[in-house]
Amino acid sequence: MNAGPTIADLTGLIGAMAAGDRTAFEKLYLATSRKLFGVILRILRDREAAEDVLQEAYVRIWENAGRFDPERASPITWMSTIARNRAIDVARRRRPRPAEDVTAAERVVDPSPSALSLLGAAEDARRLDACLESLDPPHGQMVRLAYLDGLSRQELADRFDQPVGTIKTWLRRSLARLRDCMDR
Amino acid sequence: MTDREDDIWPLAGEYVLGTLEADKRADVERRKDGEPALAEAIAAWERHFAPMLDDVGKGEAPRAEVLEAIMARIGGAPKAPAAPILAPPDPSEAPAAVAARSEIARLRRRAAGWRAAAMAASIALAGLVGLLVYRPDMLPLPTERNYVAVFQDGDAAPRFLLSVDLATQRLTIRPVAAEPAPWQSYQLWIVAEEFGPKPRSLGLLDGVEAPTTRVLSEISPAVLEGALFGISLEPAGGSPTGQPTGPALHGTLIPVSASEQP
Repeated sequence: MNAGPTIADLTGLIGAMAAGDRTAFEKLYLATSRKLFGVILRILRDREAAEDVLQEAYVRIWENAGRFDPERASPITWMSTIARNRAIDVARRRRPRPAEDVTAAERVVDPSPSALSLLGAAEDARRLDACLESLDPPHGQMVRLAYLDGLSRQELADRFDQPVGTIKTWLRRSLARLRDCMDR
Repeated sequence: MTDREDDIWPLAGEYVLGTLEADKRADVERRKDGEPALAEAIAAWERHFAPMLDDVGKGEAPRAEVLEAIMARIGGAPKAPAAPILAPPDPSEAPAAVAARSEIARLRRRAAGWRAAAMAASIALAGLVGLLVYRPDMLPLPTERNYVAVFQDGDAAPRFLLSVDLATQRLTIRPVAAEPAPWQSYQLWIVAEEFGPKPRSLGLLDGVEAPTTRVLSEISPAVLEGALFGISLEPAGGSPTGQPTGPALHGTLIPVSASEQP
């Protein structure tokens, strides 16, 4: 079975990119673009907009290859974070989505761990899961919806049928609890 | 200061979660370069939340145009990578193929030169195949039963060179400037009228470090002569569908006449 690229493979490609190797970049793109596209598309839910963001994200990945620090993040985390940031930028600038669109949207979760997800530090993932579970019931779900689906405060308010002020309080409280939990 | 810190962490957290409004988000973006504490808090939240991204499945593939657009945008700055090292001689090779080896080495150097030139000018030398068609003397493979095909993509350098000796139905694929694909396989295809419209697999290449040789005794010389060949990049182990699924390079055979021998 194809185990997919390892952290070392991807780190090597990013290192080569930092030295100006475009073919290394092409390989990195072929190995990772579907994952990043998945991250972006889930937030934007619009193929065309997602492809634009994907393009921006990879140009940024190319430009910042020299700043990638394998000590701080895995390659796929670093790239996904760049892609997600761009997607959120676009999501926040555009018109809010109607509530029914948000509630009806399927939450696509990969049931089997993909080759790339196995690269993620399993330990960190378990801890985050445990910390999110420890929040008051809808709050963990709210944090996931914000992070993974890119919902704004207003969209979260519609989703949970709460005033925006309450969502703001929930967010602040959740973040304080998570920070304690993650640092433990 | 404690109260300042109390401010920074939730702000950074909401920035990373993405729940800040556009103007507040832009504000944080501006501030973070000049405020190490804020930047640090953002980095910490990014680390904390990143494992959630593991759950996001791979989406559909983006259209091929996206990669093209990106490659065009990043075309200016980078310098060309070094040309691959020539593989050691394979004792099982036909004498003609061995004789051609020094020529291959020369081609590789030329390929590297073409690539560098194309980078510098930011243009693709798309006419390479045409150049080889009109200047077959560049490829002095010894007998008139020999044919050669060049595989390249939009880049300036040919990726593979395929030669066929019709007398023995022996086919040799030499990587010229093909990039290693450790977690993928290069697969060879043939398209010929006799086989219908779909490509037929001729198996996987042995890699890009050494030539791959196949003796195609089941395919007649006449069919080989008129066939179109393709090399595609597939998942490791080959195409799961029996048809090319990855990016493909194509080449048709060009006769190499005996009169061009050195």
